[in-house]
Amino acid sequence: MIEGLLSFLSRTGVAALIENAKLGIAAASSGFDSLISVIGTPLMIVIACLLLYLAIVKQFEPLLLLPIAFGMLLSNLPMFANSSAIMMHPEYFNSADGLQMGEIIKHGGLLDLLYLGVKLGIYPPLIFLGIGVMTDFGPLIANPKSIILGAAAQLGVFTTFLGALVLSALIPGINFGVNEAASIGIIGGADGPTAIYVTKTLAPELLPAIAIAAYSYMALIPVIQPPIMKLFTTKKERQIVMEQLRPVSKTEKLVFPVIVTIVVALIVPDAVTLVGMLMLGNLAKESGVVDRLIDTAQNSLMNIITIFLGITVGATAKAETFLTVETLGIVVLGLIAFCFSTAGGVILGKIMCKLTGGKINPLIGSAGVSAVPMAARVAQSVGQKENPSNFLLMHAMGPNVAGVIGSAVAAGVFLSLFAH
Amino acid sequence: MSLAEALSEGLQVTGIGLIIVFSVLVILMLVMMAMKAIFYKPNKKDKTKEPSEKVETAPISDTAVDVTTVPVPAAADSGIDEGTLLAVITAAVAAVMDTPASRLNIKSYRRIGDNAPAWNKAGVRDIIDSRF
Repeated sequence: MIEGLLSFLSRTGVAALIENAKLGIAAASSGFDSLISVIGTPLMIVIACLLLYLAIVKQFEPLLLLPIAFGMLLSNLPMFANSSAIMMHPEYFNSADGLQMGEIIKHGGLLDLLYLGVKLGIYPPLIFLGIGVMTDFGPLIANPKSIILGAAAQLGVFTTFLGALVLSALIPGINFGVNEAASIGIIGGADGPTAIYVTKTLAPELLPAIAIAAYSYMALIPVIQPPIMKLFTTKKERQIVMEQLRPVSKTEKLVFPVIVTIVVALIVPDAVTLVGMLMLGNLAKESGVVDRLIDTAQNSLMNIITIFLGITVGATAKAETFLTVETLGIVVLGLIAFCFSTAGGVILGKIMCKLTGGKINPLIGSAGVSAVPMAARVAQSVGQKENPSNFLLMHAMGPNVAGVIGSAVAAGVFLSLFAH
Repeated sequence: MSLAEALSEGLQVTGIGLIIVFSVLVILMLVMMAMKAIFYKPNKKDKTKEPSEKVETAPISDTAVDVTTVPVPAAADSGIDEGTLLAVITAAVAAVMDTPASRLNIKSYRRIGDNAPAWNKAGVRDIIDSRF
């Protein structure tokens, strides 16, 4: 009986923790590596718990951060190598020979199988389908010029790409190639599914850090944006009351998604997966004839995908790939990306304000980042503080939904430049 | 990658990327402007309409009712046809005054400025702020 008990004890998580630390130290090539192999697993569990705290107590994008944090916890529990209890094997997805489908089907855990939806690019477009159903392009169609603000807010995406390359040239220990730089830059689009879609193709090992940075900063938009918006605008500009939007006919709302899909396909085919699904969802909504489908797309389907996406993205965060200087670099660059995108939108808003003789409130430019509708609400809130009777919300929704199209196009540009 | 290489590669991609993003969205802007020209027929009545709504109710028969001014949300500009608007105003006045609509006769209406009470505006702002 004692033997049975001992054999059981030797297979527990505690034994695995000790065994893995010993193996790690033996294989480590530097002091830092051996430190990570000892404290890596406990530290990752602590980080996962910290993220759970942020999600539950601070309510930072809890719908995503909670499953991400728990996924991180699940994949960092101490396990013996080759244990059948391991739920996630990032090595099957990131190996030099490409995707190891055979291994995944033979030995893959639950999270490996669910992660296929990320790796094969299934989840982000389905999320876009739901977003399409929830999006109203009316304010954009009523004021077509505001689409330009959605383009200006992609400034952060590209400047951060540049920043990431410069940073890796200057700082030893950070080594970002063009693929990694593109994935980090796309954080500036403020669009979680787009960031995941680009990163899973270009730099899969950075996926957890990029997804967590993107979603955390999206939750922090009400904190990040207002100081930048105030920095670039005068009090008088912030008080501008905009003309009421014209009504938009149903025909326009029906034609718009079809034309956008065709135009985007003609210029940036790589963006069509995202933009096409977005527009399918929107057309379904505007058509008014498929109520059952749109109900599923924006509720059940979206929620299911959110759970799968969150938990698997979190699960890819393993100590050896996550606890690096590069993760810190991503956190810093992600913030820079957000700031530049906001500034890009506001500055173009200012230029348009001048050109139109003060008809456009530059604050709506900040809504060009695609976090819908959070960024538009921030524009509304900052505007209303200066002029309590001003309602910028609908005006800001134009650049806001344009930002979704803009960041998907920016993603398409990166994919067409670097994915082939 | 050296600093010079990083800068040149980065600037190149930034340039290409911004040009493509802007051109796609500018094309979409032109498409939307064309859509407006083709599909949007502004309601002629809207233009001749007075920019404000003031509701004057007049008794048809025996009841004497004072002239009432009602702030109406700016629906008049949003293309709702005048008949519908009048019906809505009549119904609202009838409900407030507790009179059957048949006894009311709307002679003219005029929109007045945004005179929502301060507490009303504060409430709306609170609701928007609470949705972050």
